[in-house]
Amino acid sequence: MPDDIVLKVEDLHKSYGNITVLKGVSFEVRRGETKIICGPSGSGKSTLLRCLNLITRPDKGRIWLEGEEITNRNVNINKVRQKIGFVFQEFNLFNHLTALRNVSIGLEVVKRLKKEEARKIALEMLRKVGLEEHAYKYPAELSGGQKQRVAIARALAMNPAIIFYDEPTSALDPQLIGEVLEVMKALAREKVTSIVVTHEMGFAQSVGDEILFMYDGKIIERGPPLEVIQNPKCEQTKRFFQKIHELYARQER
Amino acid sequence: MSVYSKLLRLMVTVWDYLPYILEGVWWTLGLVAGGLALGFIIGLPLSIAQVYGHRILKAIVEVYAWFFRSVPLLVLLFLFYWGIFPALGYKLDPLTCSILVLGFRSGGYQSQIFRGAIQSIGEGQYIAARTLGMSKLQGIYHIILPQALRIAFPGWVNEYAIILKDSAICFVLGVMEILTRTRYVVMATLEPLLPYFIAGGLFIILTYGGTKLVNIVYEKTKIPGLIGRI
Ligand SMILES: Nc1ncnc2c1ncn2[C@@H]1O[C@H](COP(=O)(O)OP(=O)(O)OP(=O)(O)O)[C@@H](O)[C@H]1O
Ligand SMILES: [Mg+2]
Repeated sequence: MPDDIVLKVEDLHKSYGNITVLKGVSFEVRRGETKIICGPSGSGKSTLLRCLNLITRPDKGRIWLEGEEITNRNVNINKVRQKIGFVFQEFNLFNHLTALRNVSIGLEVVKRLKKEEARKIALEMLRKVGLEEHAYKYPAELSGGQKQRVAIARALAMNPAIIFYDEPTSALDPQLIGEVLEVMKALAREKVTSIVVTHEMGFAQSVGDEILFMYDGKIIERGPPLEVIQNPKCEQTKRFFQKIHELYARQER
Repeated sequence: MSVYSKLLRLMVTVWDYLPYILEGVWWTLGLVAGGLALGFIIGLPLSIAQVYGHRILKAIVEVYAWFFRSVPLLVLLFLFYWGIFPALGYKLDPLTCSILVLGFRSGGYQSQIFRGAIQSIGEGQYIAARTLGMSKLQGIYHIILPQALRIAFPGWVNEYAIILKDSAICFVLGVMEILTRTRYVVMATLEPLLPYFIAGGLFIILTYGGTKLVNIVYEKTKIPGLIGRI
């Protein structure tokens, strides 16, 4: 496998009972790349991300992270997950910890850094997302946009090989989406490798390297963002972006 | 004899016995502290097992909690003191046996208090901890428990008040707590009114004082926006 492939997925399958959610998903992510995943609700985007960091066990298929096959039964999944940052739609910050401790706790507990060292890195990460002066606030004292930026700093602090974002702006008020997207764009331009599940087409067009369009558990169309968004080939893709456009047009009015 | 002189004589006799009754406070507190502590040691792991454990483990915890919450304390005391411990070859003194039974039983109740607290935190933070690379135990220890214990605090204070009142039932095994001593005084003086009033008063003071004290600790460990809203 070439050196610059961070993540490789081959023929991933996942069912819950008798509903098959993933029906054979394959793709690769190169170093520095920003992959956009979109598709209608229920198409399996979140399930895919959860399978990729083994929060959910896939039924079939293989995944390689930096050349190591992580679907192998005897890999240490805690070691694997350290290398994958995860940003959730609902932030999932640790409510009993300050912003700073939210970012440093992974370094202390998982990477076993000294408290002082972890603190220094955490402060640096908070500065990166523009929240240095809020370091000692608790999650309940932060706005949604600030919470999500802390969550991004928390993921970054672990120095992961790749970051997954699962609809990071869907739970935010419209006026707070911008500040989060700005941080994500800056990271993408710094060539932080990522997979972003999002319906923010502006974001996809400005920093996305490729769009994977999911429908019914499969990637049915893929290509450069501009092409897929403006010139979709599949009927389902066309309909999907049509709807997104209408939605945004309505919001802007 | 006038009512007044009768009352006066009563107070004088009981006054003589007051230190004897008061000494029971230590025994009562011993029962409560022992029972609460043992209940905590049993209840917390059980609650974790019930939320995060294997299906079979969950079932075992459920049966445990159900048993100790369904059988009356009086029956439990007799069962363990005369039945289970002797059958296992242990001859325990009444105090030890009472503390164990109060603890086993409180463990059942406390497991449910903690389980509710853990479940109220929601799965998201636990999953976030796991995605950072924390193990199951690290996630529970660093993320879930610090919050769950705070959320469980009011329920736990309530458990203190309940176990305090329940501890009086241990008089049936002759533990020298408040009620046992009060009954002896009544037998000796043949005056039931004032001694039982005193016993009741002592329980009120212990309930009120204890909850007050614990609430001070609770306030001190508050987190902005986290438990203030509950
Ligand atoms: N733990 C689970 N148990 C059973 N079914 C599940 C579970 N998780 C997801 N599903 C089902 O899998 C399907 C895909 O869900 P998933 O959350 O991956 O979709 P999604 O593309 O992320 O949708 P959305 O845009 O709404 O977030 C849905 O039909 C969902 O009901
Ligand atoms: Mg989803």
